This record gives sequence, C-alpha cells and structure tokens, in this order.
Amino acid sequence: MTQAPRGRWTTAVALLLLAGVYVRALAFTPTEIAQGPAQKIFYLHVPAAWSAMLSMALVGLGGILFLFLKDERYDRFAAASAEVGTVFSLVMLTTGPLWAKPIWGTWWTWDARLTLTLMMFFLFIGYQLLRGAVADPGLRARYSAVVGICGLVLLPFIHLSVYLFRTLHPRPIVLKPSAPSLPPEMLITLLVSFAVFTLLYIGFVVQRYAIGESR
Amino acid sequence: MIETPHNSAFMVAAYIVTAVILVGYAFVLARRARGRSR
Amino acid sequence: MSDLLRHAWLVARKDLQVEVRSRTAFTLALVFTALVLVVFEYGRDPTAVPTLDLAPSILWVTFSFAAVLALNRAFQAELENDALEGLLLAPISRHSLFWGKLAANLAFVALVQVIGLVLFVLFFNVPVWRVLGPLGATMALASLGFIAVGTLFSAMVVRTRFAELMLPVLLLPFLLPPLIAAVTITTQLLGGRPLSEVGGWLRLLAAYDLTFVTLATLLFPATVTE
Repeated sequence: MTQAPRGRWTTAVALLLLAGVYVRALAFTPTEIAQGPAQKIFYLHVPAAWSAMLSMALVGLGGILFLFLKDERYDRFAAASAEVGTVFSLVMLTTGPLWAKPIWGTWWTWDARLTLTLMMFFLFIGYQLLRGAVADPGLRARYSAVVGICGLVLLPFIHLSVYLFRTLHPRPIVLKPSAPSLPPEMLITLLVSFAVFTLLYIGFVVQRYAIGESR
Repeated sequence: MIETPHNSAFMVAAYIVTAVILVGYAFVLARRARGRSR
Repeated sequence: MSDLLRHAWLVARKDLQVEVRSRTAFTLALVFTALVLVVFEYGRDPTAVPTLDLAPSILWVTFSFAAVLALNRAFQAELENDALEGLLLAPISRHSLFWGKLAANLAFVALVQVIGLVLFVLFFNVPVWRVLGPLGATMALASLGFIAVGTLFSAMVVRTRFAELMLPVLLLPFLLPPLIAAVTITTQLLGGRPLSEVGGWLRLLAAYDLTFVTLATLLFPATVTE
C-alpha cells in the first residue's frame, strides 16, 4: 500500500505550508484598514471554497467517467473526493459566519455565496448518506455517479438564482467586503493559500482513496 | 480618519477552527489507514 | 418515437389508476394543504402582515410538500409487490418507463396544486384571476425540472435503507432554484408587476427544466440496469 504513505507525506507537507500561510497572513500581511483583522479570515475562507468546489467538480467528473468507462476506480476516487469536499465545506461554513458577523453584522445571510456553500454541503452529505445506505458496490457506484453528476450540474443554477434574487433585494452591509483590487502583499498571501489548499486537497484525496471503502 | 475595528477575536476563532478541522481530518485519515493495514 | 410515447402513456395510466384507487397520497397532500393554510391564517396578525406578503410563501410550501409526497409514493407500490422486476422485464424501453413515471408524478402534483390554489384563493381572498395564466405557467415550469430529478432519485432511493429520509435530504438542494424563482415570480405577479419583469426568471425556470429533464432521462437507465 504505497499510496497511503505518499498521501500522508503530501498532507504533512501541505499542513506545514499551511502553517507558513498562517504566519504570513497573520504577521506579514497588512491589516485592511476599514475591515480590521477579521478580514484576514478571507485568506482561509476563499481557498477553502475553491477546494470544496474542486472536490465537487471531481465527484461529478468521477461519476461521469465511471458510467462511461465502468472502471470502479473512478467511483472510489469520487467517494474520496466527496469526503474531502465535506471537510472543506465545513471549513467554509465555519469561517463564513465568523467573517460575516464582524463585516456584515449578521452571522448568516442568504446571499449567493453562502447559500451555495450550504447547498454544496448538503449535496456532499446526501451523497455520502446514499453511499452508506446501499450495500451492493456496483449499485452504490452507479447511484453515486447519478447523484454526483446531478449535483455538479445543479451548482451553476443555484448560484444564478440566488445571485439574481439578491441583486433585486440588496442587503444593507455594515462594511464593504474586500475591494476588487488587492494590494500585492495581500494578493500573494491569497495565491499562496490557494496553492496550499490545492495541495491539501491532493494529499487528503490520495490518503482517502488508499483507504477505500470501509464497508 | 477611519477607525480600524477591533475584531481580531473572530479572526483568531476562524484560524483556530480551520486548523482544528484540517489537522484533525489528517489525523483521522492516518489512523484509519493504520487500522486497515493491521 | 411513437412506441416511446405509447409505452410511457401506459406506464403513466397504470400509476394513475393505482393512485385513484388508493387515494392515500392524494388525501395526505390535500390535508396538508388545508393544514398549512389554516396555520398561516391563525399564525399571523392580519393588521401587521398583509396576506399578499405571505401568499407566495404559503403557496409554494404547500406545493413543495405535495411534490415530495408524490415522489415518495412513485415507486412505493412497485416495491411493495416486487412488481419493479416485472416492470423492468416488460418490453418497454427504460426511457418509456421514466417518462411514464414522470408523467404520472406531474399529473398528481398538478392536481394537488390546482386544488391547493383554489383553496388558497377561497381562504385568503387573493386576486389571482388576472394573473392566472402566468401563475399557471409558473407552477408548471417550477414543478417540471424538480419532479424530473425527484423521479430519478426516487427510483434509486426506494431500494435503500431509510428511503423516506433519504429522498428529501437528496432533493433539498435541487428544490432551491425553482423555488426561489417561483416565489419571486408569484410575488411579482400578485403584486401587479408587469409581466416583462418576470421574463428573466421564467427563462431560468425553462433552462432548469430543459437541463434536468434531459439529464434525468439520460441517467435513469443507469439506476435500473442490473
């Protein structure tokens, strides 16, 4: 089982680099004047969102490949990606409100981003509940592929409908969220964080894939 | 002159929670792998 | 093509006949509709909250529940009598089977929605007549895509443990876009807004329906193939 150790090493390196991101974000990146220190949550929240979306996209892709090529390894990969996606969604769902409260004055708002986050989380959970409820591996793989593909296709619709709704009913915000153009130090921190979260995704998925189906 | 808000508590909470989730998951995965190879 | 439609019709007719004879799901849906209407009526302060504000929400809560109920019983009857195997052995294509099921579900949901709307107008005295056309179109469009996904999922879920729990959990994210669109459109329509303003939302609904009816039709065989 040479995959699991490789996955562990990748994850370990990624976590070490994450510590580096923490240091850089907290100590070496300037604080945004209008929003204060809470803005720095941005350096974790946004890359986590990216990793969650990546997870979802690959769950869907794995499902498509499984249905066409009938190779159960694609299903195994999709299952791994779903579990990892749930973890990143959890990070999003916790950092999101912690960022929203000081910046927008409320823990939760049904805007496009947060609603999408929540729906993605439900999709991941539903996907895994379904897997847990089907005993036969072949059936489980086919069912998972169907749900995964539908979930993936759904995401743009959720984003679009919530975005359209919100532009009609704008919410008052206490402080404006990050301006479109970031100063270079902030941009670099963000980009490095993206890279680290991607590496973390890879490490996690490789480990999870190696473990396979526990039932 | 804009007064920078004092909201570092939220930042600290978010950074801690994220670390706990990600490191925690890494440990869970490592333990599950060890459990299978036994 | 004509075989596809003919077989689909046979499947749909069979389902509807079964439902007409047992009438359980239908009765449940109606009871729930009445319950929701009563709760909302007594749960609000009429001087503080005008009916018009609540109307779209009430309407669509009811419709959503009716839809999920219809879906729950979609494959139930087959499963109870092991008739699903027989149905799969029948010389009809998987697509016919799916479209038949879909048609039956849509008919069921449509009936509950129509009756729900009538009750709603009676109890709440909301001016619906002027916008009946667009409202009807909205009801149809909002239900179509969602029921397509629901029919697909209920075929899978019926063979799993905790089937009744699994279906709503899986379907919730899929309910969101049509529900948001439908409630928004209904609000605009009942508020007397011009039709042009809801055009964008109706197009969104149409796109959603087209996408998911196609996707569900394509994926359905994967759920019943051995």
